[in-house]
Amino acid sequence: MRAALLFALLVGVLTWLPVPVLAAAPLSVKVVAEPAHIETVLGGRFMITTEITNTGTAPSGEILAHLNVASIEGSVYVDPEDWSPSRSQQLSLRPGESRKLTWEIQAVNAGHFAAYVVVVPFGDKVAGKEPLMISPLVDVEVATKPTLTAGGALPVVVLVPLLLGLAAAGVFFTARRRGSDR
Amino acid sequence: MTSTTVEAVRLTKHYDGRSAVEDVSVSASQGEIVGLLGPNGAGKTTTIRLLTTVLQPTSGEFSIAGYPATSSTEIRRCVGVLPESSGYPAHQTGAEYLRFYARLYGVSRSQARSLSAELLTAVGLEDRGESRISTYSRGMRQRLGIARAMINDPVVVFLDEPTLGLDPAGQAQVLDLIRSIAKARDATVVLSTHLLPEVEEVCSKVVILHHGRVLVSGSVGEVIKTALIEQSAQLRVPLDLIERARNVLAGFPGLTINQTAEQPEVLILAVDRPGTDSTHREVMNEVLAAVTAAGIPVLRFELEAARLSDAFLKMTNRGVT
Amino acid sequence: MTLQVAPPAVGTVRDVRAGAQGQSRLLVVAEQECRDLWTSGRGLILLFLFSVLLSGVTYLTSTNQALNFLEQRESVNLVLQFAVAVGVLATLVVSADGISGERERGTLETLLVTPVPRRSIIGGKLIAALSLWFATFLVSIPYVWVLARGVGILGRALALGFCVGTLVAIGLGSIGLLISAACNSNKTSIAASIFLLLILFAPTQLPSGLPQGWFFEVLLRANPVASGLAYISSILVEGHDWTQDLALLITPLLTAIIAGGALILAGPRLVRLTRGVNAG
Repeated sequence: MRAALLFALLVGVLTWLPVPVLAAAPLSVKVVAEPAHIETVLGGRFMITTEITNTGTAPSGEILAHLNVASIEGSVYVDPEDWSPSRSQQLSLRPGESRKLTWEIQAVNAGHFAAYVVVVPFGDKVAGKEPLMISPLVDVEVATKPTLTAGGALPVVVLVPLLLGLAAAGVFFTARRRGSDR
Repeated sequence: MTSTTVEAVRLTKHYDGRSAVEDVSVSASQGEIVGLLGPNGAGKTTTIRLLTTVLQPTSGEFSIAGYPATSSTEIRRCVGVLPESSGYPAHQTGAEYLRFYARLYGVSRSQARSLSAELLTAVGLEDRGESRISTYSRGMRQRLGIARAMINDPVVVFLDEPTLGLDPAGQAQVLDLIRSIAKARDATVVLSTHLLPEVEEVCSKVVILHHGRVLVSGSVGEVIKTALIEQSAQLRVPLDLIERARNVLAGFPGLTINQTAEQPEVLILAVDRPGTDSTHREVMNEVLAAVTAAGIPVLRFELEAARLSDAFLKMTNRGVT
Repeated sequence: MTLQVAPPAVGTVRDVRAGAQGQSRLLVVAEQECRDLWTSGRGLILLFLFSVLLSGVTYLTSTNQALNFLEQRESVNLVLQFAVAVGVLATLVVSADGISGERERGTLETLLVTPVPRRSIIGGKLIAALSLWFATFLVSIPYVWVLARGVGILGRALALGFCVGTLVAIGLGSIGLLISAACNSNKTSIAASIFLLLILFAPTQLPSGLPQGWFFEVLLRANPVASGLAYISSILVEGHDWTQDLALLITPLLTAIIAGGALILAGPRLVRLTRGVNAG
């Protein structure tokens, strides 16, 4: 009798206590980069592979893996959409299941950057306080190839209209000379 | 022996139920200059466009230089045309214009250059060949147009109102050109014009159109005769003898006598009975003889020949068929 | 002064009447039309203004210190879009003047009485109109070279611009001539052609952030100009493979074939003194 009452009290206390949403199934996100450090030039393309594993005992439900790129040096404005056309991938994992996701990236700015993947819960069951899972950073160094400068463009910018203008003027004055013969 | 270069039989053209040309039959021979006359809207331009294959006839047949209407490409090789109110590319020079058209007829570039120079000289534009057409006067453009019409040495040349808008000197130049085209090149010329005195001067044959139909065709004399145009004369005598002259001439059969208030001493005489030119002239001779036999001094006697313009006006006003 | 038109001293057309030698009539017409277009100065003035526009775009792009790789590619794409827009517009306007303009100026009848095949007249005028597109493209080459240096897309950009632009220019040039043949008034012909071009260009100017449902997709693919420019963008800016979006080229190709074919087949019936296939 005493044991049954103690058990009921324990159940009541436990049901009253707040329970984290993912308490039963914490996700672990692994990043596998080959190599972990990437060096490329402006415009260069490379791939990042991430492996996401559900280390919990329950299905993960719908989760979203999202790629981000940030500048970690200088004040380079980074628009991640320019770096990769598809930055979000949706998946769900059974307990113990792993999935590898690949991300195609093109370096559209020069400088020192960090690429990473963040895994967030997805769908209407998200309560708002769930922790995020983030991969280790992939270090990306992009070298510049400065080809376009004002000085380099100036000859074309000036010469082409000048030549065409002279040609048009020449034709115009020749036509006027022909037209003035009366 | 001259060959028939233009033969049209019952050409008809309808536009949206309206008849522009109806049953027109025309023929012309090599070296002939045919005048195509008619009031505005008579169908002259439409007839020319049919014969030059610019328009397709609704019915009827025609041939140009022996080529039937179905051989439009061959006909176009044989004809030269100066359309009414023809436009010219303002930016081209006269020489360039002629060279272009020469090359359209298959002439090589170098031949086109010399042909163009020749024709410019022939029409009196040799000094203006390298000037833009936009600087040409109207007369110069017409001459250029005639040169272009001659570029392919055509068998038949169609000139639609070639003297339109020209001063008398310009008209004379164009008529000279027309005469030389027919004579020197032995080409048939079909000339559509309103200038009746010039038609009388250059044309060997006349076709008068009215409301799309042929009123009459033939030589100038035949057309005048068909129109029954009376021959007239003016007789001037001393004013005090004018009544006596009237009395002397009153007895002549078929002779009408008129006077005007402005010139009371002049009697206007007209033979209004059918007859040939020679019988009309005989009558006038008799009139003159009678007046002089009566002792009346003849101060002036002028015989006025029947004009094509008289025939034209009479026929197109009455619609004589 | 008495004028005489004596028989010519040199060999005349009567000699060649039996079997015409000399250059193809189509080329003769094309050469003269091109000469009229370019020696009058109209073509050169257009090219001059176009080059000023491109010089402005190129200079602004080159002075942008923060220009990233993608923006440079977008600049190349923009120059090609300008080249296609201006070249096609010029081609369309010139072809819209082709037949109706001759009618208004009174020069068509003298052309019709020559033994030149009607198709040659049409073909020659189309070639002259297309010369404007080719000239516009040539002018854009140095600008594309300057902007595309270092981003590795120069060859691709030029090939794409030339092929797609030529397809679109042939299609719209043919349409312009068809419109011209159907109009007696030059003003009507040119206005209708420009209006058509505006309709075709409008979808390309919509903001890219707008929701693009199936209707927009149909609108894009049915429009030879928009789909051609979209194809260029997909390769130059988005980095797609050239086979990935080939379906976008279907409409420009079909337009060129259908409009060009209609022009060739219906040419003899279209080139008449007054508009309409039954006139004359």
